[in-house]
Amino acid sequence: MSPPVRLAALGLVLCFAEGNGPAGQGVPQSPAERVRALAGAGRLAEAERLAREGGPSLTVALGEVLLLRGNRAPAESALSLAVRNLLPRYRSGHAALAELAAGQGDRDLARVRAGALASAYDRSTGEGWTAEDQTAAGRAYVILGADDPEAVRAALRVFDAAIAADSTLLEPRIRLGNLFLDRYEAPDARETFERALERAPGDPRVRLGLARVLAFEERSEAFDAVRQSLAANPALVPAQVLLGKLHLDAESYDSAVAAGARALAVDSTALAAWALLGAAAWLRGDSASFRAAREGAYRKHPKPVEFPGAIAEWIARHRRYQEAVRLAEEAVALDPESPQALGVLGINELRTGVMDSGRAHLERAFARDPFHVWYKNTLDLLDQLARFRTITAGRFRIVAPPREAELLALYLGPLLEEAYDTLAARYEYRPPTPVRIELYDQHADFSVRTAGLTGLGALGVSFGTVLAMDAPSARDPGSFNWGSTAWHELAHTFTLGLSGHRVPRWLSEGLSVLEERRARPGWGDGPTVGFLAALKGDRLLPVGRLNEGFVRPRYPAEIQFSYYSASLICEMIEQQWGRPALVAMLRGYRDGLATPDVFRSVLGLDPAGLETRFSAWVRKRFAEPLGSLSPWDGKGPPQGELVDLIREGQTLLAAGRQEEARTQLERAAAIFPDHAGDDAPLLLLARLHADRGDPRAAAEALGRYTGIDESALEANRMEAELRERLGDLAGSRRALERMIWISPYDLANHERLAGIGERLGDHRLAVRERRAAIAAAPADLLEARYQLARTLALAGELAAARREVLAVLETAPGFEKAQMLLLDLARRRPEGRER
Amino acid sequence: MGLPTAPGVGVKRRLTVFAAVALSSPPVSAQAPATHVLIVSGLSGEPRFAAAFHDAAIAVCDAAKARWGVADSNLVYLSEDPARDPARIKGRTTRDAVAAAFARLARRTAPGDIVFALLLGHGSGQGSDSRLNLPGPDPSAADFDAWLGPLAGRTVVLVNAATASGDFVAALGGPGRVIVTATKSAFERNESVFAGHFARGLTSAAADADKDDRVTVLEAFQYARGEVARQYESRRLLQTEHAQLSDSALARTVAFGTAALPTDPRIAALLAERRVLEAELDALRRRKGTLDSLSYERELERLLLEIASRTAAIRAAQTGPKP
Repeated sequence: MSPPVRLAALGLVLCFAEGNGPAGQGVPQSPAERVRALAGAGRLAEAERLAREGGPSLTVALGEVLLLRGNRAPAESALSLAVRNLLPRYRSGHAALAELAAGQGDRDLARVRAGALASAYDRSTGEGWTAEDQTAAGRAYVILGADDPEAVRAALRVFDAAIAADSTLLEPRIRLGNLFLDRYEAPDARETFERALERAPGDPRVRLGLARVLAFEERSEAFDAVRQSLAANPALVPAQVLLGKLHLDAESYDSAVAAGARALAVDSTALAAWALLGAAAWLRGDSASFRAAREGAYRKHPKPVEFPGAIAEWIARHRRYQEAVRLAEEAVALDPESPQALGVLGINELRTGVMDSGRAHLERAFARDPFHVWYKNTLDLLDQLARFRTITAGRFRIVAPPREAELLALYLGPLLEEAYDTLAARYEYRPPTPVRIELYDQHADFSVRTAGLTGLGALGVSFGTVLAMDAPSARDPGSFNWGSTAWHELAHTFTLGLSGHRVPRWLSEGLSVLEERRARPGWGDGPTVGFLAALKGDRLLPVGRLNEGFVRPRYPAEIQFSYYSASLICEMIEQQWGRPALVAMLRGYRDGLATPDVFRSVLGLDPAGLETRFSAWVRKRFAEPLGSLSPWDGKGPPQGELVDLIREGQTLLAAGRQEEARTQLERAAAIFPDHAGDDAPLLLLARLHADRGDPRAAAEALGRYTGIDESALEANRMEAELRERLGDLAGSRRALERMIWISPYDLANHERLAGIGERLGDHRLAVRERRAAIAAAPADLLEARYQLARTLALAGELAAARREVLAVLETAPGFEKAQMLLLDLARRRPEGRER
Repeated sequence: MGLPTAPGVGVKRRLTVFAAVALSSPPVSAQAPATHVLIVSGLSGEPRFAAAFHDAAIAVCDAAKARWGVADSNLVYLSEDPARDPARIKGRTTRDAVAAAFARLARRTAPGDIVFALLLGHGSGQGSDSRLNLPGPDPSAADFDAWLGPLAGRTVVLVNAATASGDFVAALGGPGRVIVTATKSAFERNESVFAGHFARGLTSAAADADKDDRVTVLEAFQYARGEVARQYESRRLLQTEHAQLSDSALARTVAFGTAALPTDPRIAALLAERRVLEAELDALRRRKGTLDSLSYERELERLLLEIASRTAAIRAAQTGPKP
């Protein structure tokens, strides 16, 4: 989820007096209209010349054009002159002066100017104020809203009044949309801009507003929308900044810098553009360019709080959380009252595990901007988090809802310890500990923790040594594997840490998915028919553009395809260059190398060379299923012989023609054994064998299937039952253990596994499962505790068994089975030993 | 089998005393108060509800016969579809049939007996006009109140496991009655899962919280309430039913199933010894806060071992040669 470019909403987005049509449309008649049309088309020099020739009536327009060109001092003179002499549109000039002061970080002057305008509006109760004047008053209220939440409400009211007074006027709609979006109210912002677009389809600033909404929603259409805006007005500085930020997100730093340079060529005082250059330089580790950007910002602004503030926000999107904290602290030092700076600081402190300070800064931000959805949601979440339970498990702090913390920690603690040791050996790196992992039983809470809003599709996030993820209770059983998710997120901790948080998204994700696959059979993404069809149809992103698949996918499945592609690239590198190459790549990023340099220095290839190598490798690897699929055209489901075989197998199965179905499904399984899902040939074959009374064949098919699908709850359940029936207790145990990583809440599953543990003589397993049964809060708690005591006794842990059974009998002295166990334990107690 | 001979109802304390002997089949005392069971299964509306109601009903029917010692003549199961299970279902559920069943109970029961009535189905209305939906006219809470009137002196446990049953508690609650409803008000009208869990609680050991081999009405209620919550939670649904119970003090004392008075003097003596030890244990637990943990634990273990040894001796006496 992308924080919006809040800078763009401040005074530097300039308004002009409008007629009944969008700028640049129709044939302008009056000089004012011509100035507006020229400015709206980005022809600022001509607009300025015409405004200068227009005399006092165009003084405000002149000031506005000068501001667009970054000529602040003459702009301020012109606007002040207009305000003093009550020249035409002087109220808009007044608002522009207030915005100018705010943009320069002079909060007091901005407040004075905005306050005067707002007071005048209040006194008049709007009498004699045109729609444009009302818009100016709304702009003043927006500035006052930085300190006064009531002023934000007033701004909304006044913009609404302006729209009601003149429904053709775009300016109040654009201001209103920006106001919504700056407070993360994307749906309202979208609606506002869409209505404006109906009136002015070609207006670059309306297009920009929509592009901002799309960028906020992480949609790839944002690129097109902002390019449309710039096509209409190439000098629209906030649009250039947004384009640059989109490039920044995709780690296309050269393009980001180019957009920033274009913006500065129009307005050398544009703080957001300096911040864009600063962020790109920071992310590339280019300290000289960063210094230059910083000097540019400080030269043009006495207190450029938004320079470090925006960079902090942007680099946090690149997982540079600690550095974001440092920059946000700089922003707060420049302006301790800035809600944006306080908010960015607080949120990134929370991401780095600095919980108390993060909360304090966020509360200060919220006190100043109580309409900010991210702040509000996060503070609500922190209230919730305060009720969670923290369990220390070795090098990990597991934070989870109290009712399931113990159960989850029972499994997660050992898994994370194993993962840490495994990954430390693979990456020759040991991240600092403790690592904090938060598990949320409500997906919305996890989403807020990650992105400030609900609706995030991901399962987990790694901020470095702070991880957050959905608890298994957050989703329907069978929808994900919480063990592989935790392993995946912890792998990020290693790749982020080793690279100094400079690893590109695709590589970090690719390695995490690869590590999942290495952790347990079946864990991690595997190939799908959709992926292979997209590969064959050349619809996968090349290595050099893979990041785009994560941040702005072109079609919904592209995100998943990108994860898998990335993992395959890593797998190929590991296979052909060896694991040290992957470690060397991460170190290369840590040392500030750009991706092409990393490829060249470690792999001896440029990005195109790697792409060629990968393309050949992946096509060879999946040659057989690829030969049975048609190239995907981007529309509809995949087609081809493989798909037909599966479909025919299902039809034959439904018709009861089992032998023919078996033939078709076995052919499909031979071509593409990795196919998972309800129509997986292996799954259908397992059911077919079970129906035919061949449990051994069914178990064999299920065993193959559960080895490729990490979330196959029912298939594992069926396999466990079949294998137990066949006397294969070890196989049954493996299936039951896999089930726990899909859904750990099934009491019967724990009891069954405990029983199998006892039968196998694996007392450690049995004891763990008895403990899990207790942690699952069974209805019959005393029975579960008795079973634990009994299993402890079987395991020879007599003292622990005695403690447990005494606790049971203390509550229920008449519990006969427990009484008998106590007697047995007393008999087994060594002579002379009290306990 | 019935409850031990004593005035009033089968009280938990006495039941605990005889719990161990009930494990085998020692001689039974005479004149135990009888338990009577009436199951009323109303209109189902859908096959799946019909199946769920029947499952709950037969669980109680079978437990009543096999484990609670309820005589066939004291067990009545009425259903909308008697053909579903002619061996168990005694007639079609209509308002008149239910009225007749209660009138029969009034005639056949004596003071001190326990009457257990289980209502299954869907409800409607509110207050004293809350109704159970049956084929034909629906009886109201006021009707049930009138039918229960002649049962004064008996211990009545009426469980209305139907939807929208909540107002039955206020309408029927009173001395000698435990009223359980699946919902907290007449406005909780969504499908209810309480009946199945309550039946399971009443008929299995899982609800036996103190492991004394008796499931009281309160234990069954608490078990069912917990399982209902768990079911909603596991399905990630907002819980739309909240069971309630009218008299937890009385509910704590009522259990189904019987304990028998021992006739073997050895067993009687062992039981007496164990009662003394249990009293000592009670006293020890009350003093827990005043003792250091080591002393408490040592004494706890000593007493529990003594109690356990008596239980083992009772077991041995039951299975060994008679004196």
